[in-house]
Formats: sequence, structure tokens, C-alpha cells
Amino acid sequence: MMNLMMAKKLLQTGVKRAREKGMFCSIAIVDENGWLVALHRMDGSSIPTAEIARDKAWTAATFRIPTSVVSQLGDPKVPGYGFNVQNWNDRLTTIPGGLPIWESSHLIGAIGVCSQTPKEDVLLCKNILKDIFGEKRDLGSERRKTRKK
Amino acid sequence: MKELTLELALKMIEAAERWAREIAESPCSIAVVDKAGAVIAVHRMDGAGMATTDIAIEKAWTAVAFKMPTLMGSRWLDPRNIGKLLGDHAMGMIGRGKGRLCFIPGGIPITDEENEIIGAIGCSGVPSGVGDISDTTVSQAGVTALYE
Repeated sequence: MMNLMMAKKLLQTGVKRAREKGMFCSIAIVDENGWLVALHRMDGSSIPTAEIARDKAWTAATFRIPTSVVSQLGDPKVPGYGFNVQNWNDRLTTIPGGLPIWESSHLIGAIGVCSQTPKEDVLLCKNILKDIFGEKRDLGSERRKTRKK
Repeated sequence: MKELTLELALKMIEAAERWAREIAESPCSIAVVDKAGAVIAVHRMDGAGMATTDIAIEKAWTAVAFKMPTLMGSRWLDPRNIGKLLGDHAMGMIGRGKGRLCFIPGGIPITDEENEIIGAIGCSGVPSGVGDISDTTVSQAGVTALYE
């Protein structure tokens, strides 16, 4: 369940990590239906990044897949080509940098990051999720059995 | 000239949230924009309606674009003023600004020590009516926190 406290925690981690790297970015957190919960635009990041970050988070939450995978669906070589020119609530984006957030196999929301390049965005997204959910994910109930020594 | 940073914006939003939670007892969305009308931070409190984020942003944008609280502009859209006096209403405002214009009370511009506008704060989701409780007062709580 995505709430403001969780969103703040994600944003604080993200902003701290971005500052350490010297990046300027916008980070958006949406709930499981794609509605905005919290958005931060760091000092120095350009104006459109806020809206792009929100679009990325929306796409990740509603399609329930990372936006980098969405971009593969829109490849001219695959049968799904064409879906990305439809008007999906004016928000669909295929730029990598949005990731859905899963908690015990339930979608609780999504995160979208927009900074300089999509590569950095994906990295920052993954680092944030690792910081917040890392322990839970690696020591999940399924994995603990196999790792038992 | 003071620059509105993310840190200051969050300080304001936290204060407004506290006010909304403890005094207004109503979940709402709060947005802070800079002097260009670009969003710095938005928070939607748990339980607030999902459309309130957009309305909060629009209120803040309108406040900074017109350099006045949206409460002042809401008078222009009062249909009772039509025909009373020339220039006393501004119904043509509806739909301007690429649909971002929003004259619902709740957006307040933020000024620095030299009375220069450095941004705006907007709040949406608080039912207005009883006493001091309204979107405008939640925004005011945020502005007050900037100079504490």
C-alpha cells in the first residue's frame, strides 16, 4: 500500500543519492493506479523533468512493467508496434526510467526518475528500490529456503 | 533575493501538512512552484482525492502567474457580477493558460523580504466552511513556516 510516508522515504533516499553523485533530477512516486502521490524536483534540474518523471511513473504503474520494457513493445519490428502512438491519457512514455514497485507480489505503486540520461535514471531507480526494499527482496520467503546452509 | 529551493519548499509543505492534519483534520494535496510556475514539490496526503494533486499545482501556477492569491481572482469568475459593471468579471479567463488557469481559492504567492515573488503554494482537498478551515488557510500555514 503506497502512502505518503513511504513516498517520502523513497524520495529522500533518491534525492540523497542524486546529491552524492552530483546529479539533478526529478523523482515522482505514484500509487498503484498511476495517481501522483509525491513529486520532488531538485534545485537546478530543468523544468520539463518534473512532468517526464511523472509520465514515467504513470506508465510503469499502469502497464505494470518498467518503461524500458514498454519501449520494446513499441519496436517497429514487433507486432505491438503502434500502441505507443495512441493517446493513453497523454502520459504514455517509452523513455527508460520508470519502475513498478512490488511488495510481496502486490503492485503498490511506481517510481519515475528524470535526470540527464535514461541510463542514469534507471540506475537511480534501481538503487532507490534496493535501498528501501533490498533486504526484504533478497531475503524473501521463497529464496530463504534455497539459500539455507 | 531569496531563492526557493527544494529544502524550503519541503519545509513549507511539512508545516501545511501538519496544519491540515491537526487543525483542519482533512487530508489534502499541497504543491509548491517556483517563480516560473514550475513544480518544485507536490505531496498528496493519505486519503486525499486523486485529482487534488493536479488542482493544487494549478492553483499554485495561477497564483504565481497573476501575482495574487487565487482567492482574489475567484471574484472575477463570480457569475453574479456579469452585467453589473463594465470589467467587473472575467469569464473569458475560463480555459486560458492551456487549461492550467484555476481560480479556486487556495493558491498564495510567496514573497521574499523585498516583496519580490519567488514562487507560490497551492492546496486542494480541504472542505471550506467552518471557521478558518479552508484551502487558503492551509496554504497560509505553509507560507508562515517559511519565515519562522
